[in-house]
Amino acid sequence: MAGLRVPRNAAAPWRHLDFSLIAATVALASLGIVMIYSATNHKLEQSGIDPYFYVKKQATWIALGAVLMAVVATIDYRRLREFAPVLYGGAVLVLAAVISPVGSNAKGAQAWFQLGPFKFEPSEWAKVVLILCVASYGASHRGELSGRQVLGVLVLAAVPMALIELQPDLGTNLVFMAILMAVLLVAGARPRHIATLTVLGIVGSVAVLQLGVLKQYQVDRLTAFLHPTGDVRGSTYNLHQSVNAIAAGSLTGKGLFKGTQTNLGFVPEQHTDFIFTVVGEELGFAGAITLLALFAIVVWRTWRTAGLARDLFGTLLCVGVLAMFVFQVFENVGMTMGIMPITGIPLPFMSYGGSATIACFVGVGLVLNVHMRRFA
Amino acid sequence: MSLDSPRLRLGVLGVVVASLFAALLARAWYLQVVQAPTARLEANGNRVRTVTIPAPRGRILDRQGRPLVVNQEINAVTVSRAQLSKRSDVLEKLARVLVMPVDELQRKVDDKRFSPYKPVPVAENVPKDKLIYIGEHAADFPGVEGVRLTQRAYPQGNIAAHLLGYVAEINDKELAARKNKGYKAGDEIGKSGIEAAYEDDLRGSPGIEQLEVDARGRVLRTIASKLPSTGHDVKLTVDIDIQKLAEDSLDRGLKAARAANDRERKKHFLAPAGSVVVLDPHDGSVLALASNPTYDPAKFIGGITLADFAALQDPAQGSPLTDRATQGQYAPGSTFKLITSVAALRAGVINPNSSFTDAGCYLIGGSKQRVCNALHESHGPVNVTRALTVSSDVFYYHLGDVFWQTRRQNGETPIQDVAHEFGLGKSSGIPVGGESPGLVSTPETRRKLHDKYPKAYPNGQWFAGDNVNLAIGQGELTVTPLQLANAYAAFANGGTLYEPRVADSVIDADGKPVRTVAPKANGHVDLPPSVRDPIMRGLLGVTSDPRGTAAGAFSGFSQAGFQVAGKTGTAQVVNKQDTALFTCFGPFPDSRYEVTVVMEEAGFGADAAAPVARRILDVLAGHTPKDITVTGIPGD
Repeated sequence: MAGLRVPRNAAAPWRHLDFSLIAATVALASLGIVMIYSATNHKLEQSGIDPYFYVKKQATWIALGAVLMAVVATIDYRRLREFAPVLYGGAVLVLAAVISPVGSNAKGAQAWFQLGPFKFEPSEWAKVVLILCVASYGASHRGELSGRQVLGVLVLAAVPMALIELQPDLGTNLVFMAILMAVLLVAGARPRHIATLTVLGIVGSVAVLQLGVLKQYQVDRLTAFLHPTGDVRGSTYNLHQSVNAIAAGSLTGKGLFKGTQTNLGFVPEQHTDFIFTVVGEELGFAGAITLLALFAIVVWRTWRTAGLARDLFGTLLCVGVLAMFVFQVFENVGMTMGIMPITGIPLPFMSYGGSATIACFVGVGLVLNVHMRRFA
Repeated sequence: MSLDSPRLRLGVLGVVVASLFAALLARAWYLQVVQAPTARLEANGNRVRTVTIPAPRGRILDRQGRPLVVNQEINAVTVSRAQLSKRSDVLEKLARVLVMPVDELQRKVDDKRFSPYKPVPVAENVPKDKLIYIGEHAADFPGVEGVRLTQRAYPQGNIAAHLLGYVAEINDKELAARKNKGYKAGDEIGKSGIEAAYEDDLRGSPGIEQLEVDARGRVLRTIASKLPSTGHDVKLTVDIDIQKLAEDSLDRGLKAARAANDRERKKHFLAPAGSVVVLDPHDGSVLALASNPTYDPAKFIGGITLADFAALQDPAQGSPLTDRATQGQYAPGSTFKLITSVAALRAGVINPNSSFTDAGCYLIGGSKQRVCNALHESHGPVNVTRALTVSSDVFYYHLGDVFWQTRRQNGETPIQDVAHEFGLGKSSGIPVGGESPGLVSTPETRRKLHDKYPKAYPNGQWFAGDNVNLAIGQGELTVTPLQLANAYAAFANGGTLYEPRVADSVIDADGKPVRTVAPKANGHVDLPPSVRDPIMRGLLGVTSDPRGTAAGAFSGFSQAGFQVAGKTGTAQVVNKQDTALFTCFGPFPDSRYEVTVVMEEAGFGADAAAPVARRILDVLAGHTPKDITVTGIPGD
């Protein structure tokens, strides 16, 4: 019996690439491009613009994201940890700059820099930086976090979150909170601290809604899902049209590019936050299951990598990325189907948008990184 | 493995993640499988808008196909009130484009005569470049539209205004009655005259367009469309030339009467109104139907103002909207003697030669109640022929009296029965609406009047005097000019009472006939020669005998080849000057025209009404018409 020949460099990282994760990511991004085309080509054509305008841009973002993903995967994540303080400082500076007059304003939020034809949205990048920093901090305490250390994590996160709240961008802060909770949980925070934070989170949300911190339109939008039969032409309009588009898709959908709610522009912000309605209407329940399954693969591979990771930092990195994806998918898809409040959170890999797409690819890059180096 | 290991905590995280995904899946299932059917319906309703395209109405043509009512397309600017209320600067901008004051524009927008359901036209005959400008800057003018409107137009002006009628916005009552015919609020509908009578033919069927629209209401494509089909044209029996002739002659006659002196009242005749009916006795076709005063139907285009509409109905201004030919009710006076004559001859109360001496006055029932001829002149011994020619009242007083005395044999209402046979006392059936029924007074109608208005009619009984009065066409008896013309037309054609026929045929937009409106006989009057001939001779004598009542009016009228039979009438009206009537037909014996003229407060039939008829007949007979003069000299 021939003995198994052990490769010389069995631990070489490139031999342990997670192809399932890459395949699922690519599939999602490709589906995203098709859906963006469906959501935008009519309107663009009517305005006399190239119907592939958004598609071409999004393809560029995906290509850029893929390159960055490779770069992030190549640099050993343990070395990345050394950059954490620098990245944190940089993120805080950029977030401060974006709310200064240097940043650009649209739809009531000061959230990005206009760089020529491109928009650079620092809060999307800040999510990845936060994951890196919180994982780094959490990993330095051997799987047990005292109350004091939990507080330390919170203070660490509070600075960028405060700056983001000034934009204001409630959605991204909710993602931040999800990341914090997940990392704290796995990093070893005590159950009673987790419980306390959860209660604080709930009380905080109610307070924010009740105490007039938000503008009325924000409150209306956030709570619209609680009373869906309200004013159909007013604040619940988005929600009503979105839910209706998805439901009209039925089992197998109206067919690709054949959704009437989609083509006729009844769903607002469809190529960005409401991209799931295109899947729901045109591809039906079958399409929705497929999409959720692809996300499930990404999440499952990330979760699995968290368990396989060589060290706690690797685990926490994966947990942070997982929390980001899961929260964004649940919040975004849930909002289009009327079970979550409407906040501006993009659907990972699917929604049109450069910073968000690239940040998601970087997140996958981190997971690949941890996966590749589980033996090294 | 410790219970508090990262692995366990990852497990907890995994469970949370799995339940979140499960929740999304469950929700997707609920929406896309359970709720899908209703959602599909709603999504469809979102994108499909149904628009009705009104069909151009058909035209109204005269008997030779000459247009009386047509459609004209105009460029107009309309403003939607609902959309305007949100933006106050739009009117100012629009006023600049249209070069008109903002106040005027605002007044037009607020104009109550326009439908609340439709955009209000604020400017008409707008130059094309301005329409294009507004179209190109649609975003600056929300609710403002440049459109082509179809409106009624009247190439012949006021001609036959009453007969043609007008169109206006449908009201709630009409809408309720016609909902299943596809009418909607804001639609136009024929309100009177031919426009109303032939509404179903003229209207056409509106087109329906199903449009796919986007979320902003912009039209993307037409899903399905049914083109509107233009309404059918209605070809009338009326001849424009005869109609004009009738209207013109009537107008001249009324003016002449106003210039004449009423010797009895020592003032000019008021002659405020009148009407002319020209029928073809062969089939009841209406050749002309004139009513004076008249109005301009163009006032109704695009909606009439309340003030204008009130003026058209104001009695002080002669109620121009009233069609006196079909709606005016007048005592027929001596023109009714045709009926009394037929009744008497048929009942055998007299024979053609029965003579009665007209001494100028008559004592009813041999009593002391004395009734006299209008001028107290005596005609000597007269038979029925002579009595008609010279219009002897006494002869007919006597007949009325005799009928009353012989009511056991002849019944209580022998005269009225014949009147009914001639179509009096009930609508002639002309399809044009609003016709008055007139009244043939009987002991029964008297009783009813008394029961209803005990003060105005203190006595509910019918006496010999009432019969005497009835015999010469007075009392409560009333007829419309159309009924009178129709009765004489029936006599002229040998006894067939036709329903007056105004439309000859309905033809489609390509000129192909859709249907022909056949003549319709409503009854038959039994007129054996022994009855008809002596009466006919009497009526012929009216215009041709030197002592005929209309001999003066017809002096110089060449009867060769165009013999005219007629009857004058002068009806007394309480507190008013006399109504002048004249009804005639010719050329005898195969009469093609029946002409009836009725003029309110114009004096004597022979003096005021007969010259109008004569002028019409002059033209119809190919003579040169004479000027009309009214002398005020008493006649009948």
